[in-house]
Amino acid sequence: MDQLNSVAERGIPSEALEVMKRIDARRRNFSINLKISLAVMVGLLIGSLVVLGLDFKFMGKWLGFILTGLGFTLLVSVCAISLACIFSVLGALGRLSRNPILNGMATLYVSLIRGTPLLVQVYMWYLALPQIGGALQNLGFTGIQKYLTLPAIPAGIMALAVCYGAYMTETVRAGIQSIKIGQNEAAKALGMTDGQAMRRVIFPQALRVIIPPVSNEFIAMVKDSSLVSLMGVWELSFRAIKIGRRYFQSLEMLVLVAMIYWVMCIILQTIQERIEKHMARGERGEHG
Amino acid sequence: MSDDKGMIKIRNLHKVFGRDLHVLAGIDLDVHTGEVVTILGPSGSGKSTLLRCINFLEEPTAGTIEVDGVAIKAGEKSSDHAAKILDIRKKTGMCFQAFNLFPHMTAIANVIEGPVTVLGQSKKEAIPYAEELLEWVGLSDKRDEYPARLSGGQQQRVAIARSLAMKPKIMLFDEPTSALDPELVGEVVDVMERLAEEGMTIIAVTHEMHFARDVSTRVFIMDGGNWIENGPPGEIFTNPKEKRSQQFLAHIL
Repeated sequence: MDQLNSVAERGIPSEALEVMKRIDARRRNFSINLKISLAVMVGLLIGSLVVLGLDFKFMGKWLGFILTGLGFTLLVSVCAISLACIFSVLGALGRLSRNPILNGMATLYVSLIRGTPLLVQVYMWYLALPQIGGALQNLGFTGIQKYLTLPAIPAGIMALAVCYGAYMTETVRAGIQSIKIGQNEAAKALGMTDGQAMRRVIFPQALRVIIPPVSNEFIAMVKDSSLVSLMGVWELSFRAIKIGRRYFQSLEMLVLVAMIYWVMCIILQTIQERIEKHMARGERGEHG
Repeated sequence: MSDDKGMIKIRNLHKVFGRDLHVLAGIDLDVHTGEVVTILGPSGSGKSTLLRCINFLEEPTAGTIEVDGVAIKAGEKSSDHAAKILDIRKKTGMCFQAFNLFPHMTAIANVIEGPVTVLGQSKKEAIPYAEELLEWVGLSDKRDEYPARLSGGQQQRVAIARSLAMKPKIMLFDEPTSALDPELVGEVVDVMERLAEEGMTIIAVTHEMHFARDVSTRVFIMDGGNWIENGPPGEIFTNPKEKRSQQFLAHIL
């Protein structure tokens, strides 16, 4: 009734009220129905696991053991994404550089890394690099082999960082190029050098464009970090697979580890949304 | 150099885009300290390009440009070429048609950006003068707003304050009111007019008739990459000599 009065006060005819209510209800119904349908689907998923006779007791027993692998997973992912960010910024600056050597290096980096499987790259860092060290040692670089023989975790971090750095190079480059030319001109007109304009004006704006795709890459990387298990690191999936095989209950273990990854990614996605909201300050009000 | 009061000296300036788009065809221009010059001309005649060549946002193809004693010859390969360009840019302020405020910074942060990043002042040093400038353009109350929250006219006034924070010797205006709703044009022209009254040397590309007629001391008409004629506004608007000027003025008046 209150709503009706205030609407009447604003001079909106009463027959419009019905339409407004209907539009409102449609929007509300959609969000309610969406929640219901998601809940039903998750329920079905869990239900089907029960019907299949999953051994939940077994899963509970090993949950702690598997979760201890979380540390490795997070260590590898966080280190790798940090390095990848650095590589991708350097790569993007190279790709945009007018210096033929820098530009060539960046172009080759992106092309080579994106054109080869991550699996091969992981083994490259772990198994092939020591061999390169050996060859170099024979060529007279004494003592180099021990620096090129990486333990499993550093090798995994490097493989992921270099690979994701290459993909993200293109993301960062596109982000930088999406900033209107007028911004660069305004910075130049103030007397800024190219570097100052990039640091103060272009890059902070590009960052806002880059954050969503980079978060996306990070989420993908958390899952690809399971590749370090190939080198015998006892991270999440490695533990799950081991236990599953030992007790012939792979389904339970795989479902369990999949759920752990899923929860992690949901958390990361929430963080991403927070960051995006924070970065959007200054854009606020542009459309209203 | 300083006794002839020449603020800007341009000789035989050419700009060619690509292979054959000859936008500026041998421009000469002398602007004295304190002069207010308006450049008029049909679209595509090269007005903006000329303005953008003065602070080297466009690299001229031939000719020399001298701003407040710093002379650069197009295509010269001297080691201090880049340094001289920065020097000229510090001496010139520029306002753009699209304002080009930095959207990730508040109004005050936009205004101190030049002094802090380019001149190396601390924020503390830069803020009092920046506040003074915001007050001078009538936007003290918008100090902490982001550009997206400001109207076009307000944005352009912040942009003017941002340029002035560098204490430029000359201001270049590249169609500063063309992107504005008609009712917002006045507030920007008003600021430009006060700037002229305070003795700033100004070159403006604008079709804002009040500014051209009543504020500027000389009006240049350009077409096809060169001047058609120039003179005091009274003369140019009431009694243009060239036929092409007459035709152009008949269109815009």
